[in-house]
This record gives sequence, C-alpha cells and structure tokens, in this order.
Amino acid sequence: MPASNKSASKKLVDLDTALSVVKDGMTLGIGGWIFHGQPMALVRGLIRKGVRDLTLVPSPGSVAPDMLIGAGCVKTTACVFISFEHLGLAPNFRRAAQSGAVKVLEMDGPGIAGGLRAGACDLPYGLIPDLGTDLPKVNPEGYRKARIQEGGRPLLEVPAIKPDVVFLHGQQADEEGNVQYFGAGYFDLLMAQAAKHVICSVDRIVPSSTVRHDARLTKIPSAFVDAIVVAPFGAHPGGSPGLYAQDEQHLKAYVAASRDQAAFDAYLTDHVQGGEDGYRDRIGAKALAGLTSGGAP
Amino acid sequence: MPITTNSFAMGEMLAVLLSRDMADGEKAIVGTNSDIQVAACNLARQRQAPHLWWVSGPGGMTNPTEGIVRPAADAENIAVAEAVMDLPQMIDFIDWQVHFFDFAILGALQTDRFGNINTVCVGDHAKPRLRGPGTVGISALCGLSRRFYIMMTRHDRGAFVPKVDFVCGAGFLDGGTSRSDFGLSEGGPRLVVTPLGVFDFEPASKAMRIKSLHDGVTLDEVRDNTGFDLVVPAKIERTANPDDEELFLLRRTVDSTGVLARKFPWPKAH
Repeated sequence: MPASNKSASKKLVDLDTALSVVKDGMTLGIGGWIFHGQPMALVRGLIRKGVRDLTLVPSPGSVAPDMLIGAGCVKTTACVFISFEHLGLAPNFRRAAQSGAVKVLEMDGPGIAGGLRAGACDLPYGLIPDLGTDLPKVNPEGYRKARIQEGGRPLLEVPAIKPDVVFLHGQQADEEGNVQYFGAGYFDLLMAQAAKHVICSVDRIVPSSTVRHDARLTKIPSAFVDAIVVAPFGAHPGGSPGLYAQDEQHLKAYVAASRDQAAFDAYLTDHVQGGEDGYRDRIGAKALAGLTSGGAP
Repeated sequence: MPITTNSFAMGEMLAVLLSRDMADGEKAIVGTNSDIQVAACNLARQRQAPHLWWVSGPGGMTNPTEGIVRPAADAENIAVAEAVMDLPQMIDFIDWQVHFFDFAILGALQTDRFGNINTVCVGDHAKPRLRGPGTVGISALCGLSRRFYIMMTRHDRGAFVPKVDFVCGAGFLDGGTSRSDFGLSEGGPRLVVTPLGVFDFEPASKAMRIKSLHDGVTLDEVRDNTGFDLVVPAKIERTANPDDEELFLLRRTVDSTGVLARKFPWPKAH
C-alpha cells in the first residue's frame, strides 16, 4: 500500500493505475445500494487483474459483489443484504453460499453501521443493541456479548471495520477528487471514512466551477478520496442516479448467464475481458443511450 | 384462493389493508423494494393519516409524494420529498434508538407461529438449501419499532413454518413473555397480511391467530397452507374488500401508473 495520496492533487488516474493498490487477500468495501451506484467498472477491472482471496464488505448490493464472487475473486464475504430485488436472489452469491465455496459472514444493518463507525473513529469495536437474532450464533466473531449494567439493555460488541480499499461510484467529480452524487449517498461517506484507501469511479469529470455551482451535491469531499477514475457508464448494468437507469434487459441476461459456472465464465469472457471500451461497444450505444432517456424502466 | 375479480389486484388489497391500520401523526420507515409499503403509507396520508411521516430507509427522503409508486431508494424521490437525510445520520434512529418508529412493514422468506421473520436462509446456515438476501435493517426494525407488520405475498407451508430456520427479525421469539424476558422493548408483530387473510397474535400465548379471511377463503384452505396450528377464534371475520373510495384514491393519487396491479397480481390457483 502506498502512502496516502489524499493530500496530493494528482488523484485522477486510469483504471489500472487506481487498481494497482489492490492485492490478494485484502478486505474490500463496496458502496452503493442494490442496483444504485454499483462501482462496476472498478469491479470488472479487478476481475481482469485476477485478484484472489478477497474479503468483501459490501453495502447492501447486487451485481458488484455477485460478479466478484462469480469470478472467483472472493474467499469470504460479509452479507448485510445481497439481492437482485424483483429479478430474484443474487445468482452467483447464492450458488457460492449454498455450496460453501465462499464463506459468508452474516451481518445486519446495525452490525455494519456500528462496525464502520468504530472503524471511522479508530475505536476497537462498536456497541449495538442485541436484537434477539441468530446472527451471534452464526457469526460469533462479528457479534460478541457486551458487559452491561444490571437491568440494562442487552448489547453486543461489533469489531471495527477498516477496509483496506473501498470502491465507490459517484456521478461526477473534479480533478481534486470532490465527488458529487445526484442521488442518495447511502453508506458511501461512512465507508470512505473507515477505509484505508478510497477509489471512486465517476461517469464524468467536470471543472471545479461545476462542483462549486452546487457544493451540496458533493457527498465525498476530496480529503476522503485517494483516486478518481473516469468511467462512463461505470455503474452499468446498475444505474447511476440522475444519469441513467439500471439496464433491466442486461440484468436479466446476467441472471440467465449465471445459471452455472461455465455459462458465467463465458459471460465474463465476453463482457469483462475486453476492457471498458470493449464493454461499452458490446452493450451498444443505442442501449446505453436508452438508459439515459428517463423513460420508465 | 380468494374469490378474485378483476376489480383489484393482490398488491392493491395488501396496500389497502395495511393503510387502514395506520394512524395520523405516526412515524414509519420504508425499505428497499417496497412498492406495497410506499403505496400503503401514501394512501393513509390521503385518508385518515394526513400527517403520517415516512422516510426511505436507504435514500433518506421524507414523505415523497407524487402519485407514482417508485422504488424508495430512487433519486427521483428527492424532487418530491420534504427533506433528504443522509444514512450515516439516520442510523442513529434506525439501528439504536428505541421506539423512534411507530411501525415498519416487512416481508420475509419465512415467518412462524410467533411472528419471527427470516430473510437469510432456508435450511442450515452453513449449507443452506436456499440462500436468501440477508438481514439489512430487519433486525433493528423488528427489535426497536413500537410495532411491525409482516406482509407476505405468498401464503403456503414453505413460507409459514413452525419455527423459522434463522431469526433475523425477532417477533415474539418463543411466545408468551419471551420477547420482553430477552430484554427487547415493547413491540412485536401486530398483523400479518397475506393473499388469504389477516392474522394477529393471541395476547397471552403470542401465537398467530386468524383475524379475518378474504372473500372466498375457507378455514381448511388456510390450515392446509400454514405449517403450524393457527389460533382460531370463535367467530372468523370476513376481510372487508377495498371499497370504491380506497381504490379511487389509491389509483388516482398514489399509484397512478398502476405499479401494484402490474407487479402484484393474485397468485394463480393451483
């Protein structure tokens, strides 16, 4: 891991340069929320790089953790929520969890919130309410009974989460690394605060004057960002709030291609191995333009 | 199966049933993938609960209202919201504070006799037969809200089991006083709404009880589709169908593009 780049001004780098910090066995946080703001260009780049044995800590997500798992990059994943919503369960995550190929660290909202907050605050653990679930039974290292006062509320300790690297996707940024969101920020800023190294992809780079035009859109100020990667349609096949909708047709094709490992390997060869330019060619200008039209998905 | 006419879809009926139980001035939270919940809250705001306050759990928009049922996390809700909060701030009252929310409405892969819910897995967690999406905020909303609703879009023995395979949201745990004995605040499931009926919980045992059955649903049919013995009251009520006013407001002011009818038709008879 290089020294922090957070104070330097040369944050705008190409995809492969940004990903050079990610090594086998690291803990990788992923931002966004289900089909929104999934950092897919970074995910595809990491798959091309062939990184192995990652531990994932995804925000409630979909295709980003699912693709990394299907590509064999993941040894362990935390699971707060990994879902394809109306398109069903996350297909590669489901297969890997059911076969035991990937170890699942079961978590809940309070667990990831308390863990990230502890990580962001340099505390060893967070305190959360014990809500009577089975989570401590299946993830005893992630949920430990806390000492409480007589008659007090039952509490659990959750260890601090400090990802080695976090992947986020915003809609636009300036060269200084101020990242703007046209929709909700979800857990992205908290992830950035807790992480050792933050890589943000954005659909476009804009002048500083554009960022200053509405500074309220800046959810991740530059002090929290190590690298910015310009990745047009970098959240596809998920959506990038305010810019383009999730690609229902492609997501359905992805689910179909995830029916077994051989079919999914073919998907990866066709869609991932050719790089981001090749990916956009493959999806096609007409399809991509259609996602920006604002029509009902 | 219920006597289904073309007059309303299952999703519309579930939204109407939930909305009837909401009171003016209450605070609620709506999670991701929650079309029926969004419609229920906005319908209540059009009728008996104009000051109901609801917030999108992931997106932070409060009371987004425009007559279209949108996914609660979508950016389009921002322009029609009263406020937009950030999740790292909202977690204080979602994941820690007791009784901030009056209610939440939660779906599940499984629910059981005591209203515990499971969205994690079917079978053993280490080697599940079915790996579900996970817990997200369900643990906190079941444990911390004043009450919650269980909304099931299917009612069969796969979904209504004697004991859930994984407790990710605590209902009445093992029944009786076990929820409060554990140290959870007062709360728990109030109603379960399904394509077959509405269910509540017997006050002492906390076991699930039939409250009303939908038009055309028989007691035998509900028993055949439930994997445990329901408490059967002396008199079983008939669920009041959505009336003309409810359907008019739902379709004109809440779901003007017909999302519920399109996405949640009645299940086909076996």
